[in-house]
Amino acid sequence: MSSSIYLNSKNVFLDTVNSKDYIQLDRVSTIYQSLKDSIKKPLKMILLYGRPGTGKSMFLTKLYNDLSSTQEVHIYKTPILDESEFYKTLAQDIFSTKYNGELNFTQFMKIVDSVSLDSIPVVLLDEAQLYSDILMEKIRLLSDTRTIKFVITLHKTEKEDLIAKEHFQTRIWESIELENASPIELKIYIQKKLMKANCFDTANMFTNKSVNKIFKLTNGNYRDTNKLLYALFDIYTAYDENHQLSSIGTTNVPNKLIEMSAIHTGLINA
Amino acid sequence: MLNTRDLEQRWLRYKIKSYVPYFTILISIVVISAIIYAFFNSDKKETIYIPEQTNKTLTKAPITKEVVLNTPKAPIIKETPEVKSIDSKESPIIAPKAQEKKLSHAKDDSLKLVPSLGFMKNIQHTTLPYYKEEPKRKPEKVSKIVEETQEIEPQESIEKIVVIEKEEAQQISIKRRDASNDIRDIIKRFKKNNNPALSLFVAKKYYELGEYHKAYNYALITNQIDRDIDASWIIFAKSLVKLNQKDMAIKTLKQYLESSHSSSAKILLDEIVSGKFK
Repeated sequence: MSSSIYLNSKNVFLDTVNSKDYIQLDRVSTIYQSLKDSIKKPLKMILLYGRPGTGKSMFLTKLYNDLSSTQEVHIYKTPILDESEFYKTLAQDIFSTKYNGELNFTQFMKIVDSVSLDSIPVVLLDEAQLYSDILMEKIRLLSDTRTIKFVITLHKTEKEDLIAKEHFQTRIWESIELENASPIELKIYIQKKLMKANCFDTANMFTNKSVNKIFKLTNGNYRDTNKLLYALFDIYTAYDENHQLSSIGTTNVPNKLIEMSAIHTGLINA
Repeated sequence: MLNTRDLEQRWLRYKIKSYVPYFTILISIVVISAIIYAFFNSDKKETIYIPEQTNKTLTKAPITKEVVLNTPKAPIIKETPEVKSIDSKESPIIAPKAQEKKLSHAKDDSLKLVPSLGFMKNIQHTTLPYYKEEPKRKPEKVSKIVEETQEIEPQESIEKIVVIEKEEAQQISIKRRDASNDIRDIIKRFKKNNNPALSLFVAKKYYELGEYHKAYNYALITNQIDRDIDASWIIFAKSLVKLNQKDMAIKTLKQYLESSHSSSAKILLDEIVSGKFK
């Protein structure tokens, strides 16, 4: 195997949020379909939550790409923390109204009432746990008017669970939890990801044993898995460049290399 | 580019670290099991002695079936059955037969290791004078009573003797009663641990008290537990003489002298033969 294969395989696992890299797994596909169905329902809000690295941002990006061709949808990957700036951005993006100066909630509601839209726009807010409690309350009020539909993602931590309970428990009609992958799903995820980039040889290197080892280290977290595999192929590349590939073998991924990658990425504290 | 050599070294250190708990557990298991093994072994050493003795009697038992019927009753030390077994007149004769047969295996048995019972003997020596002096100090009534009861009913149950003794002892001396209590205590102790030194002591004590049937029984029990105890043979032979089994006593001592060169046994044999010892 040439070094370019390892290099390509390494780049497959770059931690980027790109809807093209979205890997269809059975369980994830079901969840995604239910999310898409929820958008069609007259729901006020949809909450997408899960631990970091479970693919929330990827889900949101994928949803944006899929919906943007058929309906009005806006995605905000980075939270707009300033309240006035938030309203101004929404006014401009949804209602095409440019507002100079400070825009408060009352003024923004006036804009919402004055402009009539053919369909209800969907606003996707990533990292919603970073919004202030006051702003979240305003977003809730806004969704109650049914003029804008919000899909928000939250990290599932103790604090964020509290936010979810206080603000959305009674108002959200749909909440979807994203979880880490199981060992089988992880194997499919890794192999599909590699095969998508035509790295068939490296995809075949992942046996159940090696995937189980990866699962043990990453607990099925997609972000951690991407990091680990990026380091793994980085090590492969280094061995290849030093002409030491024969010493580690290329038929399957040895546990030694997986552990070395984990040490390099900090998953193992050595 | 990634420094694989450094990474390999870090990995090696990690592997060594990860195996440390397993090694620790393994070593601790080995140590614990060694301690447990040693502990149980030491326990065995302590307890083995008694089973060996019982084994001896068990292995010897099939040699003389008649003895088996009589002797198992003897170690139980129920006073009345003991006397009965002696009263049947067969036991003094049959039991030595067993001894005869046992003597034929004496050479084999002499090789066996037997723990030293010297300290028990010392105990006996220290306590014996106390008992020896007692009858001398006390009025002759006590021994007379015992003798009388034996003369009148030599094969009577011990219960009666004890009752008479008690009655007389209460009148004569408290110390006398203490001695019998001591014997009972020792018998109890012997029942618990089957120590031949204790049964020998009881035999000696009964001999001194003139209760030759009991002395004979306990000498026999002692002999069955450990046949190498010289004193058990002496008491056994002396009791036989006192029970008018002089020939049997001579025969027994002669057989014993074949396997051992006990000077005391030889002296006793000479005394019995010459008629000095009656």
